[in-house]
Amino acid sequence: MSENNPVKTEPGPPSRSADLRYALHRFRQNPLIIAGSVISIGTILIAIFANVIVNPKLGRSTDLDLRLCWNNPALNWHITNVFNCGGTVYPLGTDTYGRSVLSMIILAIPLDLQIALEVVISAVVIGVFFGAIAAYAGGVIDEVILRITDIFLAVPAILLAIVLLVILGRSFSILTFAIVITWWPTYVRLIRSQVLGEKEKPYVEGLRAMGAGRVRILFRHVVPNSIYPVFVQATLDIGSVILTVSALTFLGFSPSPLIPELGNLANAGSTYIFTAPWLIIFSGVTILVISLGFNLLGDGIRDVFDPRLRR
Amino acid sequence: MKLYEYVIRRLLLMVLVLFLLSLLIFYLTRGLLPASSAISQYITPKMNSIAKLQLAQSLGVATKSCPNFTAFSDSQAGCVVPLWGQYVGWLHNVLTGNWGYTLLPGISGTETTLTVFFQRFPLTAELAIAGAGLTILIGIPLGIVSATHNNKLPDHLSRIVSLGGYSIPQFWFGAMLQILLVLYIRVGGLGLFPANGAFATICAICIPNPGTATAYTGAPLFDGILSGNPAYTWDALVALALPAITLAITSIGALTRIVRSSMVDALKQDYILLARSKGLRGRVVIYRHALRNALLPAVTIAGLLAAFLLGGAIVIEIVFTWPGVGSASLAAANSLDINFLELYVLVTALIIVLTNLVVDILYAKLDPRIRY
Repeated sequence: MSENNPVKTEPGPPSRSADLRYALHRFRQNPLIIAGSVISIGTILIAIFANVIVNPKLGRSTDLDLRLCWNNPALNWHITNVFNCGGTVYPLGTDTYGRSVLSMIILAIPLDLQIALEVVISAVVIGVFFGAIAAYAGGVIDEVILRITDIFLAVPAILLAIVLLVILGRSFSILTFAIVITWWPTYVRLIRSQVLGEKEKPYVEGLRAMGAGRVRILFRHVVPNSIYPVFVQATLDIGSVILTVSALTFLGFSPSPLIPELGNLANAGSTYIFTAPWLIIFSGVTILVISLGFNLLGDGIRDVFDPRLRR
Repeated sequence: MKLYEYVIRRLLLMVLVLFLLSLLIFYLTRGLLPASSAISQYITPKMNSIAKLQLAQSLGVATKSCPNFTAFSDSQAGCVVPLWGQYVGWLHNVLTGNWGYTLLPGISGTETTLTVFFQRFPLTAELAIAGAGLTILIGIPLGIVSATHNNKLPDHLSRIVSLGGYSIPQFWFGAMLQILLVLYIRVGGLGLFPANGAFATICAICIPNPGTATAYTGAPLFDGILSGNPAYTWDALVALALPAITLAITSIGALTRIVRSSMVDALKQDYILLARSKGLRGRVVIYRHALRNALLPAVTIAGLLAAFLLGGAIVIEIVFTWPGVGSASLAAANSLDINFLELYVLVTALIIVLTNLVVDILYAKLDPRIRY
């Protein structure tokens, strides 16, 4: 068991590069992490180049004569074929506005990914800030911050987001805001438990003896040393946020049904489940694959870097 | 601290959380929009401005001294009750059992909020309980297999299933089940399973005339069992199957992962080595020694799971047109039905907070090392 392990678990600069090399070795050994990385990087690349691959104007142009058609010769789908497709082949059929589903999915990826990143980054910043302060200050401040997170953790997040969207209006910035509001408390809990352990370590006392200020100790030393589980959670959460965003737009909380967004496309498809199932099938598969990619990556990172699981 | 002191402290905190939550929902639905929107859903076309003013006054939004409806809708000074006053009035009503009439489309104004809520609540409870049961039945064995075959093929497969379930959009999985089992697999011109609803008699495996069941609980499955009517129970079970599977598949991930990691931890402990060196069979070591200790951390996510199941129920109830409180809460949010929303949020929060409390007490009972 442990004699195969080239790395000892003591911290400190000398073992860091060996640590990293060992992590990379573990990383390469695990096919699922590689799959996760490939999917995640692929998604990001598609998101960056979406407007080059597909003309973004297609998202706004509609041709109702072409709606809900399916003419992919590779998969001959014998379902109520509502309209005739004309000459062009649409690999994933067309949607209710006569737009190519494949193009709409490609155009939707940057939007969903952008919202997910905005939500996760904002929630991490807010959560880490309040969580670190709660753990480090303790006492009344800790109690107040914890009770506030209690409120948010006691209701299904999606319902609070729905209420906010109904009241503040339907736009993607409000959607982002609504999800952030329901998401930050989990990071408060996570970083708080880490900082509680970290702040008792001898080096913190050493810093204090050297005369370092509390803010400096907390945010320059303690937080960076306890941030790693937050990164893992953040990677996992990109997938969960995409699921939440698409669930909300699926429920109809999208500014316009025309906007290419994955949940929005699925929403249009939900009416035609039995006549044009490709609409909901392919937009849902895209959400599944992207979310799975980030989940595999986050889960893999956790395993690779978790010292308890190395043996 | 003694256990009962701890429980009392937690119960007091629970009351505080519920109070703050009701304030939050009240602020969101009443504080952010103009006062007139609080009554807009109650207004019928026949009302004249005097009736409208009386309505606003009876709802506690307009002051008694307000001269006319125009003054109220223009939010003139002294005409709109301040938000805290509205809240106190609302709280008084609610605590005396007056939750008002429902605003849900179709039955708006004809039934009280309480009646509608408690008619629908058993159906959501049935769905969530079935979802939780399936989650435990699938999730724990999957986690065990994953841990005993750490980093081998079964572990990878289990990881794909659990992370895959974690990544599946609920609305999509529900729709896929409908496409497959209702549209494609047809027997005698009928879909294998019913497409929607909490009780169905028309599908290939349904029993057409199941008879009746006494409404003991309001949830068809439990009513069928309690009435001793197997046909009725079967039909309820068939209708429940697809939504419950959807709910379970999307929530096993969290349980599987925590069972796996605590099981991996437990298998490395010295007492496992001792058990093995005593010559105990592998099965006994795994199930009698490791699993008992590994399940303890898994208990802690019960509260999280409850929140996840109840939240997931909203989307799944929409997809399967399941007439529970989750789908109704979406309609309530859309029509700013403050009473229904508050009732839904408070009951849900009560369930989640109580689950967490019970879990913490159980944890202390199961693990003698924990003291309060």
